[in-house]
Amino acid sequence: MIEIGRICYKIAGRESGKVAVVVDKINDNFVFVDGQVKRKRCNIDHLEPTDKLLKIKKNASHDEVVSELKKISIEVKEAKPKLKKEKPQSIKEKSKETKEIKPPEPTKKPLKEEKKPAKEEKKESKNESKSKK
Amino acid sequence: MPSPRRRSRSLRIVYKKLPGGRLTIHYHKKKPSKAQCAGCGRALAGVPRERPYKMRNLPKTMKRPERMFGGIFCTVCSRRKLKDMVRK
Repeated sequence: MIEIGRICYKIAGRESGKVAVVVDKINDNFVFVDGQVKRKRCNIDHLEPTDKLLKIKKNASHDEVVSELKKISIEVKEAKPKLKKEKPQSIKEKSKETKEIKPPEPTKKPLKEEKKPAKEEKKESKNESKSKK
Repeated sequence: MPSPRRRSRSLRIVYKKLPGGRLTIHYHKKKPSKAQCAGCGRALAGVPRERPYKMRNLPKTMKRPERMFGGIFCTVCSRRKLKDMVRK
């Protein structure tokens, strides 16, 4: 009963009550379906076959199935393509960016170098003061 | 003797065993009974029964299965119903 091109109705799951066309046979228990349902694998127990048959090839594309279904006045609602939303930036990431924007690193480095000898001088001065004592 | 307002059965009685072995009575608010299948009368799965203030805050998708006849018929009855619809 279940063969390629057979129009079935889904009985189980969230797509129950919708038209599914068998596109491919996987094994004794599972078939590949398309049509009003999402193109996917489906258990035969979840399908109720009708007496209608579509003339389609094995592994027919979604557009082919839809055009064939239109001929027997079964319309397929096209799902809206998902638009990728930009992720809202967290506060931490924003603060990182702002820090990256002002990089006065080259100016800092020489400052540090200058500071180090200053400390040494201080130490020396301390030593000197000790020696003086 | 419990206080007069707790002597009626408007609140659910729950017996709790304390760590010392003593029994006490806790009073809980009652929940509505489980949702039943309109075909066979079996208790439905996936349909929460809570106090109205909790049900109000739940999204619609969490209140019933997202299936045809979800929250009305059980899976067995809905399959039979759909098969009948297709065969006619």
